[in-house]
Amino acid sequence: MSDISPFLRSIFTDVTGPMYSYQMFGRCAKQEANMMDCMEAYGYGRGVRKCKDLIDEMYECHTLKKQYARFAAMRKERNRQIACGQLKGDKQYVTPRIDSY
Amino acid sequence: MAEACQIIRKQDLPPPGGYRPIPFKRIPAKSYFSGFTWIAGYIGVTAISSYLYYLNYKQIVKNKIEMRSAKMAIYPMLLAERDREYMKQLRRNRDAEAELMRDVPGWEVGTYYGERVYKLLPPDALVEPIFHEYYAHTEPSAWDKKVDLRLWS
Repeated sequence: MSDISPFLRSIFTDVTGPMYSYQMFGRCAKQEANMMDCMEAYGYGRGVRKCKDLIDEMYECHTLKKQYARFAAMRKERNRQIACGQLKGDKQYVTPRIDSY
Repeated sequence: MAEACQIIRKQDLPPPGGYRPIPFKRIPAKSYFSGFTWIAGYIGVTAISSYLYYLNYKQIVKNKIEMRSAKMAIYPMLLAERDREYMKQLRRNRDAEAELMRDVPGWEVGTYYGERVYKLLPPDALVEPIFHEYYAHTEPSAWDKKVDLRLWS
């Protein structure tokens, strides 16, 4: 049932649509536009299968999961190395200048 | 017999000549100026001080314009300096990541265990880091200095 989209789109089917988008100079405007173009072309059921890459790009941009997971893995590794004594003194951290980001 | 032995007692009598009259009339406070004089004085002082304020205000506006012009003039340079430092730090972060995750199995620099962050971009496209990634290798005190400003505003 989840592969079926409404046969006729009307004002009533738009009641439960998304309330906001990235298109007003948001972070993920490009990825969202690509995804929506693809979904528009294929419809909902096929679109979810055929546009999987674009949907994944949009998902990653929206949730930043992989970037955060990278950070978590690196932090964990660094803490492990410090605890094991492999990193000592000045080599423990690489600190950016505070105003640079 | 009774007139010869008059004992003179002390009595509380009015003073000779009687009491002086008691003043009961109101004594209002001394008014230096009349009402209209006060209002006229207020208007006069306001007029003179407005003129002096106007002279000072022209100087204030000039100062504001000067400060604004100076800020606008140096803003591009400060922005460029920050961007340069940002780029340099990205390179340093990449080197630190390569150094750190050398012995971790399956890790490739710039990916998450081999899985690229954005698969449809070319491999050498710049993926701007999030706050956590940029500060991934920092010591905790530096993190604290920036995290509130960056993540809560």
